[in-house]
Amino acid sequence: MNILVVLRMIPDSAGELQLAEDGRAIDREWLDFQLNDFDDHALEEAILLKEAGGAKVMAVAIGEGAKRVLQMAAARGADEVVALQSEEDAMISSREIAASIAAMARARSVDLVLCGVQSSEDVFGQLAPYVGALLDCPHVSGTNRIVANGAMLRVTQERGAGVAVTYELATPAVLGVQTASKAPRYVSGSKLREASKTPIGRATPEPSGFERSAEIITLRLPVQGGSGEILGDNADTVADRLVGILAAKGLARN
Amino acid sequence: MKLIACTEGHSSKIEAFSLEMIAAARSLVEAGDEVVAFFAGAEADAASSLFGAADRLLVARASKSELIPAETYARLLRDVIDAEAPGLVLVPYSANGLDVAADIAARTGWPLISYVNEIKRDGDELTVVAQMYGGKILADCAVRLPAILMVNPGAFAEAAASPIDSAKVSMIDAEAVLAGGKVKMVDIDVPDYADVDLTKAERIVCVGRGIGDEASIDLARNLATLLGAEIAGSRPVVDNGWLPKLRQVGKSGQKVKPKLYLALGVSGAPEHLEGMSQADLIIAVNTDPKAPIFNVAHYGATCDLFDLVANLGDRLRAGSGR
Ligand SMILES: Cc1cc2nc3c(=O)[nH]c(=O)nc-3n(C[C@H](O)[C@H](O)[C@H](O)COP(=O)(O)OP(=O)(O)OC[C@H]3O[C@@H](n4cnc5c(N)ncnc54)[C@H](O)[C@@H]3O)c2cc1C
Repeated sequence: MNILVVLRMIPDSAGELQLAEDGRAIDREWLDFQLNDFDDHALEEAILLKEAGGAKVMAVAIGEGAKRVLQMAAARGADEVVALQSEEDAMISSREIAASIAAMARARSVDLVLCGVQSSEDVFGQLAPYVGALLDCPHVSGTNRIVANGAMLRVTQERGAGVAVTYELATPAVLGVQTASKAPRYVSGSKLREASKTPIGRATPEPSGFERSAEIITLRLPVQGGSGEILGDNADTVADRLVGILAAKGLARN
Repeated sequence: MKLIACTEGHSSKIEAFSLEMIAAARSLVEAGDEVVAFFAGAEADAASSLFGAADRLLVARASKSELIPAETYARLLRDVIDAEAPGLVLVPYSANGLDVAADIAARTGWPLISYVNEIKRDGDELTVVAQMYGGKILADCAVRLPAILMVNPGAFAEAAASPIDSAKVSMIDAEAVLAGGKVKMVDIDVPDYADVDLTKAERIVCVGRGIGDEASIDLARNLATLLGAEIAGSRPVVDNGWLPKLRQVGKSGQKVKPKLYLALGVSGAPEHLEGMSQADLIIAVNTDPKAPIFNVAHYGATCDLFDLVANLGDRLRAGSGR
C-alpha cells in the first residue's frame, strides 16, 4: 500500500498572535511554526499502518520548518520525504494546496492519503474532503482508528456525545485523522541525527484550479472578556476570591 | 433565491444544531426567498415534526440505516443542489459536516467559509465572521453567492420547533444511493453512561493539556473531590489516555451545563467551548491572558494552575475541617 501523509506547518497558537500591518494576515515574522497537531497524528497512523501490514509512506510537508519536520518523519519511519513549496509568509490554505496533493497522489498511484482532520488555517475548507473530491474517491474525517486488511479499510470516526461509528471502505481513499490509534511516538536524538541525512525531495505546487474563492478582509482579535472578571495572576489572592465567589453561590461545600 | 439549511440526525434523534441552521438561513432571507431544509436519514417523522421554521423540507429517506455516511449525505445533497439551484448552502460544523462542506465546494467550485459565527447579507454579497487559530483570531470574510458556509453549532439561536405542513415536505428515496455508496457503516457505538454522566453533573473540574502529565491529574481530581465535582478533560487529555472518553467535554465529547465549571489549563478552542459555554458559572485558569476560554469565563485567573490548585485546595480543606 502506498500512503501519502500531509504535514502542514502552522503558527503556534499557544503563543501570541499579532496582526500584520495590512490587517489581512497574522504577522509571521517572529512566529514559531509547528507541525499541525492533527497531521502529527496522521503521520503516526501512517507509520502504524506500515508496521501492521507493510506500506510505503511518503511524507509531504508544507510551510516554514518543513525540512525539520520531514527529518522527524523519516526518523519515525517515513520512506520518502518531500517538501512542497509554498508562498513565503502566506497562510497555508487547504483549498489552495488540495490540487497539488491530489496531483502527487495520482502521479504516485497512492492508495491512501492521510492528513489531519483540520488545521488552524483551513478557514476556506478542509483538506481531506477537498482531496477526496478532486480524486473522486471516498473520504472520512475525524478518524481515531484505521485498520487495513489488504485494500479494505475499517475506519472509526468520533461523533458527538462520545458516539463512535465504524465504516468500511476500499482504497483509494482519503482520511482526515483526528487521533492516531496510538499516541505519536517519541524519536530519540540519535535516530534524528541519522535521519538528518535523508534526502529531501522537492515538489512545486499546482494551481488550485478553483475559479472563485472567498477572501479575508480583515483579521481581528475577539473582544476580550465580555462580562467576565479577571482575578489576576496571584494564586493566593485568586484562591481567596474564588472561595468567596463559591460560597456566595452555595458551591463551596460538597 | 433558495437557501438550503442542512440538518442532521441519527439513531432516532435529530441534532439540536439543525434548528440553528434553519434559523441562520431565516436570518438571511430577502423578499421572495425560500428556506429549504435538507435532511437525510430514517428520522423523517421527527424532522417533519420540528422543522416548521423552514419553507420546505426535503427528506432523503433511508429507513434501513441508523446513520447515513457523509459520502452518501453529500451525494444526496448534490442532487438537491442540482435540482434546486440554491444561492447559499449552510452546513453545520459537525462530524458529518466536516466531510460534506468541502466535498460540495470542490464539486461545485463554489467558495466555502468554515467555522462561521456571524453572517450578514447584502444581495448576493455576504460578509461573514469566521474563527481561526483555535478561536484566537476572528476573520471578517467577503464572499459572493452562490457559496457554502460551514456554521459553528451554538452561533445561532435555534429556530422555534414546530411541525411543518405535510404539503411542504418532499420525500426522496435514498436507499439506492445508500446501497451504492462506497463508505459503509458497519458499527455504531453509543457509550453507556451508567458510570459517569457529565451532562447531569452539577459541578465539573475540567483539565486541559496545561496539566502537563498523567500524574498531575490526581491533583485536579483531589480538588474536584473537595468541591464535590466530577473530573473532566479536554480532547488532548483524553487522547493521551489520562482520562476515559466519557469524561471528555466538547464537540466529540459531552455537552454539559453544570452550575460550576472550573477549567484548568484549557485554551478554549471552539470545539471545547461548544460543550460547555452554557454552564452557569465558568471559572478559567490559564497562564495565557489571550486564551479564548476567557471570552466565555465569568471569572478568569492568569496564575499557574498548579499554584491555584494548591492554594484553593488548602482553603477548601481548612474550611471543611479536613
Ligand atoms: C472535529 C473535532 C472535534 C473536537 N472535539 C473536541 C472535544 O470534544 N473536546 C475538546 O476539548 N477538544 C476537541 N477538539 C480539539 C480542539 O480543537 C482543541 O485542540 C482542544 O480543545 C485543545 O485542548 P486544550 O485546551 O486542553 O489544549 P491546548 O489548546 O494545548 O491548551 C492548553 C492551555 O493550557 C495553558 N497552560 C499551560 N500550562 C499551564 C499552567 N501551568 N497553568 C495554567 N495554564 C496553563 C496554555 O496557556 C494553553 O492555553 C476537537 C477538534 C476537532 C477538529
